[in-house]
Amino acid sequence: MKIRSMLETLLRSRKLYYALAIVTIAAVLPVFIRSEYLVGQVLTLMVVFALYASSWNLLAYSGQGSLGHAAFLGIGGFASALLATKIGLPPILGLFIGGLFSAAIGFLIGLACVRLKAWFLGMVTFGFAVIAVTTVSQFDNIFGGMIGFATPTIAPYGLSFYYATLAIVTMSIVTILIVMKSKWGLAFKAIRENEPEAKMTGINTGKYRLLAFVISTFFAGLAGGLFAESNQFIQISIFEPYYSFLPLIMSVIGGLGTIEGPMIGSIIIVSIDSFMPLSYPYLQPLNPFFPGVSNVGPSLRLVGLGFFLIIVVIFLPKGITSLLRKGYDYLREDPSASKKVKLDEET
Amino acid sequence: MITTAGLTEALLWGIANGCIYILLATGLNLIFGVMKLVNFAHGQLLMVGAFIAYEITTIAGINPYLSIFPAMGAVALIGIALERFAFRRVRGTEKLNEIFISLGLIYVFQNLATLFWNENYNIQIPSPLRGLSYSLGEVLLGYDRMLAIAVVIVVLVGLVLLTKKTKIGLAMRATSQRSDTAMLMGININRVYMFTFAVGAALAGAAGALYGIVFSFNPAIGALPTIKAFAIIILGGLGSIPGAVAGGLLYGIAENATGYLTNGIWQDAVAFALLIIVLIIKPTGLFGEKGE
Repeated sequence: MKIRSMLETLLRSRKLYYALAIVTIAAVLPVFIRSEYLVGQVLTLMVVFALYASSWNLLAYSGQGSLGHAAFLGIGGFASALLATKIGLPPILGLFIGGLFSAAIGFLIGLACVRLKAWFLGMVTFGFAVIAVTTVSQFDNIFGGMIGFATPTIAPYGLSFYYATLAIVTMSIVTILIVMKSKWGLAFKAIRENEPEAKMTGINTGKYRLLAFVISTFFAGLAGGLFAESNQFIQISIFEPYYSFLPLIMSVIGGLGTIEGPMIGSIIIVSIDSFMPLSYPYLQPLNPFFPGVSNVGPSLRLVGLGFFLIIVVIFLPKGITSLLRKGYDYLREDPSASKKVKLDEET
Repeated sequence: MITTAGLTEALLWGIANGCIYILLATGLNLIFGVMKLVNFAHGQLLMVGAFIAYEITTIAGINPYLSIFPAMGAVALIGIALERFAFRRVRGTEKLNEIFISLGLIYVFQNLATLFWNENYNIQIPSPLRGLSYSLGEVLLGYDRMLAIAVVIVVLVGLVLLTKKTKIGLAMRATSQRSDTAMLMGININRVYMFTFAVGAALAGAAGALYGIVFSFNPAIGALPTIKAFAIIILGGLGSIPGAVAGGLLYGIAENATGYLTNGIWQDAVAFALLIIVLIIKPTGLFGEKGE
């Protein structure tokens, strides 16, 4: 009964159809793009990071902004890769066990975090990522150190791996959507808006914050396994702060707290990352002005990313999704919708 | 080889390192106390301060300890720009927005610095006292580190005088207690916020110059000092300057002692473990106040 009502809310939600549209486009795209690199690298990475960013976004949905999600990406990635290479488990099984392992550690970290405020929580999660990478780099014979090791994939690399990844990620993101639409999601939202008040209305805030942590870290671990497999390779650089901040940047640019935001953010950021290098040759004339680097491209890209994030936060606090929604309402010329937007602005 | 003398030296060095972090943490703390804003890009301001001091020392050929002043001034100007054009625009919106802005600033500062100074090449501000030390039995006390402690004490005394004895300091304290009421009393909140951010940034600039004298640095160092400053604030409690001093000394000693006992491998990790344990036991920090 409960599941049925949940499914009904899901079917009524407009977002499900948006999500389905994105998935359909993602499934059809490889037919038009006949490039091994674009499908195997770029599209696959977009899909994997869509899941990773969505997992981060779910945690932020409960008001907990993690700054060390790379720890869970790395734990999931290493667990699944090690299970597949050392024990010989089928990669698909290793993937989910990796996710569970990440969720178990997420549970412990979540326990430490349930009473903390936003910035303390950010610091503890960031600190945990530092501890994780220090610990892992002590055991080079197991984890491969800076060199890393090759990982088997759930499906042959290329088109079939892309579809396998797409299937897993779609199921995961639909699960995240169900969670966000459920009573749990409502509790997460209440906690994010005002924790003392949420507690007053009888929500066990500690329990729900922990729940958000466990679900989020499970999917982050899953994304880690997929990320390692999409590279066919894993090394400890997966723990870098860059990967901690990436899902945050994607979610914020796309639209924080929405289901489609992290996906849009992932598409934008991975596109920039993948296609920016094409412009590097044109940036060569700038090189003499900047003595610190031999090629200005990569640094300029990151400077641009930083400015992009700041500009989106200041001028478009609800992300690019809000722009799309406004455009959609404008196209429909729905007077009630425009009134609603106005009301939102007033409050 | 662990010896008493070695351990003593590690502890004393820890105090010196702790002092530099205290300066950074106090700036962060001041900004938080008055503006209720957490600037995650504070370590990047330290890095910028270190590079400015380096350039001034090498180009103008002045004593590195004099370069602290221009570094403070320049970083204060950067701080004013940040407050005016970035943080003020998201004031009063969701708390996470400030964190996002400061993360964006981390990317901007770190990579702009990478464009001018090589990321893979560590530099250090040339000090005439480099390598010289006062020997106390087997324990060696570097002059640079001792001078750094002295500078930190002077700056902190100056800061306390500024907040307790001047009119703008009074305005800052009033704003930190209740900004709305302060506004009603005729205090220009925007000016107070801008001044506070400038002072906080100047402290980061001073910390940067000292950091550059004591340690070698590159454009990528920013993140770790930020986190250490946070650790200190969490140990000492948000918004309390004496707490930050106690937290800083404790952290510096813990970090250096761990580094000495484990040959530097676990230096950063154990310090964080300590931090996480403190937060689990007491979520407001060791000397933290109730509330925020």
